[in-house]
Amino acid sequence: MNRTSKLVAALALAAAGTAFAQGNPPTTASPNPATAAGQQSPAGGPMGTTGTTPQNNSASGSGSGGTSGSAPMSGSMSTGSNNDTNATASNSRPMRPARADRN
Amino acid sequence: MTSRLVRHGALAALLLVPMAATAGPDDALRLARAAVAAGDNKAGPFAVVDKKQARVFIFQGDGALLASSPVLLGLARGDVSVPGIGERKMSDIKPHERTTPAGRFASEPGRNLSGEDIVWVDYDAAVSMHRVRPVVKAERRLERLATPTPADNRITYGCINVPAAFYDRYVKPALGSRQGVVYVLPDQATSRSVFGFMGH
Repeated sequence: MNRTSKLVAALALAAAGTAFAQGNPPTTASPNPATAAGQQSPAGGPMGTTGTTPQNNSASGSGSGGTSGSAPMSGSMSTGSNNDTNATASNSRPMRPARADRN
Repeated sequence: MTSRLVRHGALAALLLVPMAATAGPDDALRLARAAVAAGDNKAGPFAVVDKKQARVFIFQGDGALLASSPVLLGLARGDVSVPGIGERKMSDIKPHERTTPAGRFASEPGRNLSGEDIVWVDYDAAVSMHRVRPVVKAERRLERLATPTPADNRITYGCINVPAAFYDRYVKPALGSRQGVVYVLPDQATSRSVFGFMGH
């Protein structure tokens, strides 16, 4: 075996070792997709269904109870007169999604 | 001499408090007293909107009046929102549907689609309290706020417009960072029929 053959054999061995070391390839899936995607609840609460900040939601995203899916978001809101008795009971409720107002 | 200085000092103090207790119409103050007495505001700051006078009154949790200001209100007189109006385009809202609803509303800080910080009065009906936006010159919103009469303060699509400086100084500190209560006095119904804590 000449020197060239030995060199080729050594390189092959090194390549094989590298291949074995890569036997457990990195995954593209993050263990915490919400954080990795930069999507976090703006108020530090549970993620909403859209996963976006309020400014990025569309007007059609409104609806009764909001869209966050978190339990506190289902608090009552006035839709007419004198039907809301849950005024200041909770001040930790996350901000509801942005929507168009009636100016 | 001393008494004159005292009188001038008192007058200056009155002028520094923007339209404080002296300007408060009886209805708004009566409602505020009843709300605090009943614990309806849960000791939190609150606002009373007097539609007939086109004014908003900001109160501390203990019922002390902080300030008041003229406001712009919905074009149409009426005390309820048309069902589903919050989901409709502005261009689809008819003049007679442009009401500012009356009642007791759990307010909450929020943002509109422009990213502007506002106070939601009725989120589902898309009614908020916000700084006046003089976008459409023909509406003359700033001029309407400046006139002494409430007769020309009906122009919005239902939102409650306040002067920007007033919003930043009083509305935002009181209601812009926490949930609160906004009481809107009715145009047509009686206050007692709308607010249960006032008794019948």
